[in-house]
Amino acid sequence: MSTLQALVDAVALGSIYALVAVGIGLVFGVLRLINFAYGELITAGAYTLWVLRSLPAVVAILACFAVVVSLSLLLERVAFRPLRKATPATMLIATFAVSYLLQSIYLLVFGSLGNSVSTLAGLQQAVDLGGLRIRWITIVSLACGSLLLIGTAILLGRTSIGLHMRAAATDFQTARVLGVRANRVIAFAFLVSGVLAAAVSVLFTVQNSLVTPDLGVPITIFALVGVVVGGLDRLWTATLGGFAIGFAYSLLGDKLSGEARVYLPSLVFGLVIVVLLLRPGGLFAGQPRSVERV
Amino acid sequence: MPDAMLELEGLEVRYGVVAAVRALDLRIERGELVGLIGPNGAGKSSTLLAIMGVVPVARGEVRLRGVSIRGRAPEAIARAGISLVPEGRHIFAGLTVEENLRLGRAARRDANGVEADLRRVYGLFPAIAGSLSRQGSALSGGQQQQLAIARALLARPDVLLLDEPSLGLAPTVVESVFAALEEVRAQGVTILLVEQRAQVTVSTADRTYVLANGELRLSLTPADANDTARLAAAYLS
Amino acid sequence: MRRLEPLVQYLGPATLIVAVAVAGSLTSHAREIEFRNALVNVAIVVAIYVFVGNAGVISFGHVSFVAVGAFLSGLLTIEAQSKQFVLPGLFGFLRETTIGDLPALALAALAGGLYAFLVGLPLMRLSGLPAGIATLAVLGITYNVLRNWEKIGPGPLTLSLVPETTTIWRAAAGALAVAATALLYQRSRAGRQLRATREDAGAAQASGIDVYRQRLVAFTLSGALAGFAGALLVHLLGSITTDQVYLSLTFLTLAMLVIGGVSSLWGAVVGALLVSGANSFLVDAENTVHVGFDLTLPDGTSLVILGALMAAVLILRPSGLTGGREFSLPRGRAKGR
Repeated sequence: MSTLQALVDAVALGSIYALVAVGIGLVFGVLRLINFAYGELITAGAYTLWVLRSLPAVVAILACFAVVVSLSLLLERVAFRPLRKATPATMLIATFAVSYLLQSIYLLVFGSLGNSVSTLAGLQQAVDLGGLRIRWITIVSLACGSLLLIGTAILLGRTSIGLHMRAAATDFQTARVLGVRANRVIAFAFLVSGVLAAAVSVLFTVQNSLVTPDLGVPITIFALVGVVVGGLDRLWTATLGGFAIGFAYSLLGDKLSGEARVYLPSLVFGLVIVVLLLRPGGLFAGQPRSVERV
Repeated sequence: MPDAMLELEGLEVRYGVVAAVRALDLRIERGELVGLIGPNGAGKSSTLLAIMGVVPVARGEVRLRGVSIRGRAPEAIARAGISLVPEGRHIFAGLTVEENLRLGRAARRDANGVEADLRRVYGLFPAIAGSLSRQGSALSGGQQQQLAIARALLARPDVLLLDEPSLGLAPTVVESVFAALEEVRAQGVTILLVEQRAQVTVSTADRTYVLANGELRLSLTPADANDTARLAAAYLS
Repeated sequence: MRRLEPLVQYLGPATLIVAVAVAGSLTSHAREIEFRNALVNVAIVVAIYVFVGNAGVISFGHVSFVAVGAFLSGLLTIEAQSKQFVLPGLFGFLRETTIGDLPALALAALAGGLYAFLVGLPLMRLSGLPAGIATLAVLGITYNVLRNWEKIGPGPLTLSLVPETTTIWRAAAGALAVAATALLYQRSRAGRQLRATREDAGAAQASGIDVYRQRLVAFTLSGALAGFAGALLVHLLGSITTDQVYLSLTFLTLAMLVIGGVSSLWGAVVGALLVSGANSFLVDAENTVHVGFDLTLPDGTSLVILGALMAAVLILRPSGLTGGREFSLPRGRAKGR
């Protein structure tokens, strides 16, 4: 594959992971909660697409958004609201438990063999652009990814609720004292991250059409790793981190040949460890945070 | 007797086993500026935080215009008409001055009249008007204090709570802040002012109480402002 | 009576372990496996606790050490002839050697400890979330390498024909040994210094405690214990695959620890046994159990219910069932404190 082509693919995968990073980062910003169960939202979306596979794509996709957003809000209300006062370690494990629970439900309902999603399968086809063969899905991923990221930025930067969210992410207590409604802001964060998860499930399943109960797990892990590597404290650094990991994974995957290719995860994880040792606060974060190192 | 604007009855605030505030009774009428002074750790901040619902009230009552607000969430209390200017200002450093101000509007009960309130606030603090697009973190301490007060005023509160606004500010800046507070009182806002600087508080407020060890010790009027012996005795008792 | 305190603290966990072993030895053979499994879980969870509970730093990577111990002990105890046939790609040493199970347990502990030491050298400088993610990365690397490097293992295939030498008493002995080591460590000077860093690493550092060094010690020790537990595991199952020592086990063991109470040995043991017990019960219920009435769960729901129960406990009682306190005997009438 030519370098340009590899770069384009890498940017496309990076965009998808950037979306996941925003989804995780938004919730972290307002709740200081790392949502291990985020990938399960993506899985839910994928299964919705499969269940409605005989309906027109538009209907299936709309339903996918509806289901994922509802699940996201439900999780907030039932699982994460009571956790607001817990220690970070407990929150982490509890979201882990929710993730496990959801996976076991998927396993129970859909079985372990996996189901094939064919919504928008036509996007797998390639188009010739000035000598470059690019698949439609790559273009669509780039376009959707950019649109959603820009949309989120506008939402945060120019709306009232966005302002409230940014304030809450900076200093929740003071925001509340000024009248910012805690529950509303948090629910909104879960709503937006639900929308992003749904988008990811649609884009992701075009290239990875086999849906299994643990579909969301590697996505969550890589995205989380990317977010921490980028810098968890600010949304834009988290997003960059997510993008970076998707980008690196795709590009390295292209550069590594046959035999070595199976060790791609190890390579990426190894890089992650190196980055964390050098910049524990995040690659793109500003000052080094003295608390994270001894 | 008609309801006071803000009334504390037997207020007790505990942190674990330690009582920061004990059996505090306070009654503030509409339009008054009441001061609360005392040594560090006396429970002054805790009183304000308890009114605002940020820390739980262990015992006693907090009433706004006769209606109990005990146990309500901070954002609900803000929307009921009480605004807090917290200790240390707590400006949102990453947001612009304009955005900080806009946040102040979150607790408004009346969506109209924002323009008029903005003009009033700019009149009180001209420096703010001139730095709307600057980052909150780029302001000086005095400007941040002004911004914090302006932000609180944009909610058009009935009651304004201030926690040590003079902290870390130069004397001239403190003077201008207090002058602004007198303006605010003149505009009809009821004020409860927690402060470390005894003299300027006693001379500005209608009444000032001394809080020590969680209990009210003494009540002072502006006439006592130059009675240093009496002030010292209040702190040391 | 303070000299007896360590004994008392050990009493609780030890009694539970022995009780489980006794109960297991009295049940049918099929049931007994579940009891053995529970005891091996205790060993794994306590191993993790030695680091996570004392250092206050989360580690997602400890199952890597369990994996190393399991695969190493498994490989070295398989009969040489079968090995050469089934796993021809192995390193010569691994392929041709067969050792007894006790030496294999020891070697597993050594390997776990060594791996942990090497990983810990760079990683123990980190705290909080970066530490968690870095250890998660270690888990990912271990899984990836074990799954693909056919010179050190069967890769994606199951490693089988491992002698099943973990009897109920051996499992109990192993759990008791790990618990005893954990208690001795946490009461030692090193252990107490490390615990002091839990609340405020900065303050501890300022008062002369070498935070990095103490964490490395705990990490290495817990890695050795985890390797040992891994060996117990592989000799219980008679086989092992990389998927069995990856995310599921990581989640399960961490959940057991947090549910029991992350900062005490008692919490680790209680958590491991309770969750294992609940799991066994629920799985049995799929084949009808009698609890005053006949309860039959639909197939596959045991996992869902277990997940829901664990999530519920974590959400409703975040400090764990023991609240992080060690086992103690009920106090008599008011003692001077």
